[in-house]
Amino acid sequence: MDNSTRTLQPLFAFLAYSLNRVETTFYKIPGSHVVARYVKSSHQDDPGRTVLEILLVIFAIRTLLQSRTRSDSGGKHFIKFSEKEIDELVDEWTPEPLTQPLSAEEQTDLASIPVIVGTNGPKPKLQSGKQVLNLASYNFTGLAGNEVIKERAIETLRKYGLGSCGPPGFYGTIDVHMDLERDIADFLGAESVILYSQAFSTITSVIPAFAKRGDIIVADRGVNFAIQRGLYVSRSTIRWYDHNDLKSLEDVLESVQRETRKRKLPLTRRFIVTEGIFEKDGAMVDLPKIIELKHKYKYRLMLDESFSFGTVGRTGRGLTELYNVPATEVDMLMGSVANTLNASGGFCAGSSFIINHQRVNGPAFIFSATGPALHATSASEGISILRNTPSILTTLHENVRTIRAILDRVDCITIPSHHASPMIHIHVRVPGPSTLQLPGPGAGKPSNPASVQPREPPVFDIEGEERLLQEIIDEAMAQGVWVTRARRLRGQEFVDARPSIRLSVSSAFTKKECEKAANVIKAAAIKVLGRRK
Amino acid sequence: MPSPIALNPISPTKSMFKKRSSTPMASATSYLSAVSQADARARAHGAATPTATPALSLSSSVTSSSEDTVLDEYDNNSDGLTLPLVAPTSEQVFTTVHSEFGHCANESFRYTSSHRLGAPAQETEEPEPPYYIVLTTYLSYILLICIGHVRDFVGKRFHPSFYYHLMPHDGYAPLNSDFDSFYTRRLKTRIDECFSHPVTGVPGRTIMLLDRVSYDHNITSHLTGTKTRALNISSYNYLGFAQARGGCADAVEEGLRRYGVAVGGTRLEGGTSELHVAAEALVARFLGQEDSLISSMGFATNSTVIPALVGKGCLVISDELNHASIRFGVRLSGASVRMFKHNDMESLENLLKEVISQGQPKTHRPWKKILIIVEGLYSMEGTLVNLPRVMELKKKYKFYLFIDEAHSIGAIGPHGRGVADYFGINPREIDLLMGTFTKSFGAAGGYVAGNKSVIDRIRLRGHSGTYAESMGPPVIIQIVASMASIMGVASPLPLARHSSHTSASSVSTVGLLEATEHHPGPAPASALPSWMDLPIELRDGSEGLTRLRRLAFNSRYLSRGLKKLGFITYGHDDSPIVPLLLFHPGKMRMFHRMMKHRETPIVVVVVAYPATSLTTSRVRFCLSAAHTKDDVDIVLRACDEIGDLLDIKNYSGERWSIQRVIDSAVELVNAEDI
Repeated sequence: MDNSTRTLQPLFAFLAYSLNRVETTFYKIPGSHVVARYVKSSHQDDPGRTVLEILLVIFAIRTLLQSRTRSDSGGKHFIKFSEKEIDELVDEWTPEPLTQPLSAEEQTDLASIPVIVGTNGPKPKLQSGKQVLNLASYNFTGLAGNEVIKERAIETLRKYGLGSCGPPGFYGTIDVHMDLERDIADFLGAESVILYSQAFSTITSVIPAFAKRGDIIVADRGVNFAIQRGLYVSRSTIRWYDHNDLKSLEDVLESVQRETRKRKLPLTRRFIVTEGIFEKDGAMVDLPKIIELKHKYKYRLMLDESFSFGTVGRTGRGLTELYNVPATEVDMLMGSVANTLNASGGFCAGSSFIINHQRVNGPAFIFSATGPALHATSASEGISILRNTPSILTTLHENVRTIRAILDRVDCITIPSHHASPMIHIHVRVPGPSTLQLPGPGAGKPSNPASVQPREPPVFDIEGEERLLQEIIDEAMAQGVWVTRARRLRGQEFVDARPSIRLSVSSAFTKKECEKAANVIKAAAIKVLGRRK
Repeated sequence: MPSPIALNPISPTKSMFKKRSSTPMASATSYLSAVSQADARARAHGAATPTATPALSLSSSVTSSSEDTVLDEYDNNSDGLTLPLVAPTSEQVFTTVHSEFGHCANESFRYTSSHRLGAPAQETEEPEPPYYIVLTTYLSYILLICIGHVRDFVGKRFHPSFYYHLMPHDGYAPLNSDFDSFYTRRLKTRIDECFSHPVTGVPGRTIMLLDRVSYDHNITSHLTGTKTRALNISSYNYLGFAQARGGCADAVEEGLRRYGVAVGGTRLEGGTSELHVAAEALVARFLGQEDSLISSMGFATNSTVIPALVGKGCLVISDELNHASIRFGVRLSGASVRMFKHNDMESLENLLKEVISQGQPKTHRPWKKILIIVEGLYSMEGTLVNLPRVMELKKKYKFYLFIDEAHSIGAIGPHGRGVADYFGINPREIDLLMGTFTKSFGAAGGYVAGNKSVIDRIRLRGHSGTYAESMGPPVIIQIVASMASIMGVASPLPLARHSSHTSASSVSTVGLLEATEHHPGPAPASALPSWMDLPIELRDGSEGLTRLRRLAFNSRYLSRGLKKLGFITYGHDDSPIVPLLLFHPGKMRMFHRMMKHRETPIVVVVVAYPATSLTTSRVRFCLSAAHTKDDVDIVLRACDEIGDLLDIKNYSGERWSIQRVIDSAVELVNAEDI
């Protein structure tokens, strides 16, 4: 025993020495005396408290050290398995196929999509060998195949090559992109413009650049798919108002205001999101009224003008020109360079603060390569053509009137589109009692703004109507008029849109061609839908 | 023999740009005949028409006859950017413009990028810097943050107008809070001169910068109106197809005349052209897959395809460093997502064991399917995915594999077919291959390729088919021409010129690649539009192969050279992306500026948080087949000098002098291991 004490003696000496060192070092720290005195006196008063405090310190250290991104293992729902059990579970697991193979109908549907040979335009040639009147492609301003634009594109190709080979942050910002941004801003009368390289991705990226969790977005129930995706990604609180019903919008704004006041919620960003001309049905929004509401309730307005920019207004400046509202009144004005300027890409116009914010925070802007230079110069050329040739828009509006004059009088179809919209949707008119909406218990009451579904969702037979519409399309195609069904992503959209045929009127048609197209569609509709009875 | 199209006189057109010159000539005789043709044209059109005579250049090669490059007032060629410093000999014939695609005839400056069969995938080490570097980096950030807060504190009191947009006003919440934007305002703005520099012209081997100045600490910047030509080691131009001259550009010009600028409409409605069908067949064949789908934007390819594949009840396992477009797509899809440590196969396997055994959270129901998304080549790290190991795991754990080859397609592998080609793996074993055309093909947009049934489902369920504009004809033609020249075209084109209608039907019969066909093989002649007349060196694939081999040499040379000079670099030796670690935030701006203000200006990309972790700020070089060995020497010399000044050479391994690195370039590249 004595022996063991002797061997341990150096260790004890070392321990005593280190304790001493720690103590002196501790007292060297300024303020340590205060701490020591406090601990001593508290231990004297209540020894149990010391134990409690030590436990608290240990717990705090443990919490700090624990990784915040740890996995479930240890969570309430985690089940411990042995290696062997895991291997068995892995062997047992059979995944579903990556995708479901296409059904026979889907295959024929996919195969039936017409393929254009050569330049697209008002009268392209299809792979079937047929030359058709094209009301399917977006060529509202008739710029497709324009020779001046082609020459300009070739010049650009010979100076810039094709691709930009870089995102805007890393030498992908070419002078022609800045020129186009300036051209669009001048054309609209906006302060600043940012270009995106695909129209569809523009608004899906703009919404989450501004709206974050906790912000409030009031949106139309009929907004297009790109907006729906943007709303979904933003994770904001979304309130819905009835499609293109500004009374409903006012009610929703009022109810949000009431709720904010009642629950004393902090001031968050608030946005109204809607479209100029709705992609879903061609309805047009009453811009002055919406701007009035936005000012009254202090919201910012995001307006998607993908189909109204370049198609309405005297020279094609869009809804702001049509209603004579300064473009600066719209906080974020999105448009498409593809649909009307016959190039590729999209843009957002707004104040320079709003645009610069997107240059740092817009995911589809910073993480994507900029568009080809020749698309930018083509679009710039397109704008200068629109500026110098007001007759393009006059002809377009004339053509829309000609077609509507014929189709509006057809009994078996309904047209939900605004009479000035160059995009005309055609629904099947459902005959018989199914149109009669029985007044339900909630009739007349407003829909629930928290739900995207309206209180009384319209009832329609998607498959049946699509089949009928396709028959009309085939019939029209046989007569040399190419129209298309408005394609939808059934099952992925918030609200299923009613099946429709979509006509895209072009200023490149003559009056005769418009009459012919309308009459062919009319005859096809009567033939197909008349047979039903 | 040069292709007949090269001699076709181009009709003079009125232009806002400088007058165009004729296409580059391939030989002295063709040059002379072109001169006489141009002369005849000038006489015929009278004195008023500007002639398009090829300018006589100083070098005996007639390659740089482009007036745009030779007579530009900002180009004096003292630095060898526009013309080679050493004039080529009479045997050497270059068909490219030196400023776009450098002249390099030395066959020893070539290398083939491929993985040795059976060898384990290269472990990419990430060397640690000395402690004082890490410490001072943190100190720099703390200092920057403190200064930023002091400036905010003072600024809010004395210049409230600067903060107007960040404060609630008139009942509106600010669009951006001062807290959220702190990093952007107080840190990024300081080095804004490194970002979003406007450029003009071709982003090829060199690039023309539009000079700019800022008088208000980078809040606004103004163009001075002058331009600077700089060596471009920043653009994603791996195979050097960013060219305004040459076979591909000629094909695009012809295509523009035939098809116009855009189709107008979505793929499922009124926007499918015969070119889309042809290009999709060619892309599928290039990748060795059954079918493919092309989309007009690379970012949108991911963000619109992933939601078509997975949804609620499905799990996406994603590498922690995956690109933002993948994250965006996964978020849109609504699927659950788990991440594994970057390229760490052990972490992936553990995660797989856990998620398969545990099933869905709370309910413990089995996952409907598990999709693993990885990138072929990571754009910030330069690392290659460990594909052989992933394939082993795939067999065992039955997940689906989606590889984003945005950077690796065209740039990696002996045939340029991406990581599967590099590792010698049958591409059909991979469920989905995604990639972009922006980088290696000098075009735009993206693709996804796989089984026919999967691709057809994506056509219908993917968002872009229904709602996004289709790809424009000039872009498709650039893709087809560049891709065909990498593959080589199998049989000669039919002699008789068909009408456009018959060409369409011949194109559509290309259809699907038979499983028995050899991969990677050449492109069938029928896959090209019949009017497309590529020059012989593009058609036989010889130029494509040279490009691949030049890129592989340049990549390996720069990455190994930098290592030997004592720099810390990340990534795989064969990666055309070479990140060089700077660590300190302040060094980014200095490095960028010192490179740009050298005698031979060099433009570089610097990246920092949030694209990388906070302490690993870096400069990222993107090599190209367009660079010559001399260009890489210039970059190495510049790095060597600046590296000494800025104390960036922190690698503890063996160090060579710059002269030794340059002299032994070929051995350095060909060595198995260094």
